[in-house]
Amino acid sequence: MLTVFRHSLTRFIGQILGWGIPLALLCSYGLLLYDTLVEPEAQQQYMQLLSNYPPELMAFFGDMSQMFTPGGYLDTLFFSYIPIVIGFFSILTCASLLAGDEEKGILDLVLAHPISRVKLYFGRLGAFTAATILILIISWMGFVITLPKTSLDATAWELILPFLSLFSLLLFFGTLTLLLCMLLPSLQWAAMTSGLILVASYFLTSLAKLSERLRPIEKFFPMHYYQGGKALTRMNWECFGILIGFSVIFVGIALWLFERRDIRVSGEAGWRMSALVGRKRLRSLKND
Amino acid sequence: MNDPVAIYTENLVKSYGRVEALHGVNLEVHPGEIFGFLGPNGAGKTTTIRCLLDLIRPNGGTVRVLGLDPQSNPLEVRSRTGYLPGDLHVEDNATVESALRYLNSLRGGKADWGYVRRLAELINLELKTQIKNLSKGNKQKVGIIQALMHRPELLLLDEPTFGLDPLIQHEVLELVSRARAEGATVFFSSHILSEVKEISDRVGIIRNGLVAEVAETETLIKRALSRVRIRFKHPVEAQNLANITGVSLLAQDDDQNVTLQVEGEMDALIKVLASYHVIDFETEHPSLEEIFLAYYKEDK
Repeated sequence: MLTVFRHSLTRFIGQILGWGIPLALLCSYGLLLYDTLVEPEAQQQYMQLLSNYPPELMAFFGDMSQMFTPGGYLDTLFFSYIPIVIGFFSILTCASLLAGDEEKGILDLVLAHPISRVKLYFGRLGAFTAATILILIISWMGFVITLPKTSLDATAWELILPFLSLFSLLLFFGTLTLLLCMLLPSLQWAAMTSGLILVASYFLTSLAKLSERLRPIEKFFPMHYYQGGKALTRMNWECFGILIGFSVIFVGIALWLFERRDIRVSGEAGWRMSALVGRKRLRSLKND
Repeated sequence: MNDPVAIYTENLVKSYGRVEALHGVNLEVHPGEIFGFLGPNGAGKTTTIRCLLDLIRPNGGTVRVLGLDPQSNPLEVRSRTGYLPGDLHVEDNATVESALRYLNSLRGGKADWGYVRRLAELINLELKTQIKNLSKGNKQKVGIIQALMHRPELLLLDEPTFGLDPLIQHEVLELVSRARAEGATVFFSSHILSEVKEISDRVGIIRNGLVAEVAETETLIKRALSRVRIRFKHPVEAQNLANITGVSLLAQDDDQNVTLQVEGEMDALIKVLASYHVIDFETEHPSLEEIFLAYYKEDK
């Protein structure tokens, strides 16, 4: 398992740096601007400026009334919208974790070696989890480096809490995608479905701040349990636990399905595809 | 090698959804032999091999590889087996060496790296090259090395020479023969009769998910049909040629151009032709379908 983990993590190095460094720069730069906001005069001007924007737009940037608190500022600056950005890292990475290699035909060769499916599964999932944690640590360091230069009232350790909340959400979407890859005919379908849930969840949760009618529905979407900047002062461990709990369930079901799955060869359609494309087409898609 | 049978399948059935790929495959491959698994595309060759490695699970029947059930002992089966997939894909961004080292590490580092270098030299493969820069033939060489590098007891090769130029085909078949000489059992699928003839001890013919015939390679060659086109300088009586044992007349364009079908060896025909003035003599090897037709004709 360690071999697979190490090898998979090496494959993620580009993504870790490619996501981590820009996010760290964004965090660092954004935090430097905090002091320009805390002056009462500046606050007043900002509030005036923001009041000109439609509430439907501002809903996507967190609770604007809390914008001048450390948690509210971090929410507006980073945590309110970042799940929709980095969420796609989780979705695309987990889509290619097993199904990607399967569709490319690489898994066929790897699993012909004496490595169990369980070890391969956990080795790769572990690498994805480690890559996600590393991206978040690099981003967190962007905050930590700038923190002494600002008057933001938070410690480096407190800043970990919103990242923990973000991690639970990313893990949720990653493992959901992994599960969907085992259920749907192709990784494109799985990534698309997962992406759709992410975007729908983001919109619903944001708009639920404005509409009472949406609130009962949004509770069924994962973004409801994501706390963002609010976690800085009052981390809700129950919400964190719910997202992690669902991730564990998805991991378990996906593993169960992966162990029982026929490994496809490159270019071969999934068995569910037969209903869509017909038996004749399926025959022609099969390598042999 | 103590197992009495290297590969054993009985009534092996495999379906993909509603499509039944194998209808009850029965096979026995003996230790130390090269077994050619011959069949046209879509016959079930790849499906059979993938069942042997537990990459796909059969819907019915019995499978034993080196005396083991691949579903109960997949790791042991795979650790004693070398596999070359029909459509080989390796991570493109790696070099040949790092790809091989990774695959070797999945085997617990069993391969002797000196042997890997020797294999690479033998088939003229540069280990430092990136996989994405390799031609189809050279990628196939990577596949051959990864299948051989841990000196497996059993080699499962799915169309090992497919897409390779004749020179590399020859090198690959050489390596396969060498592996057998070192004690390995080789099970390789192909749809090319000539390469199966070249190295196999026995041949199994699969068609539509069923093994139609298992025979010594010599027997298969004897039963195989060849088509012969002959152009004579002077008019001939074609019926005289058709009377030779194993020869039948297929077509006669005129008195000087004759097409014959020959079953088995050509010797008798050649000896008769020695008394004629032959301008041109052209043989055509039968397609697999024609061999199958020959079998089915006999069955009827």
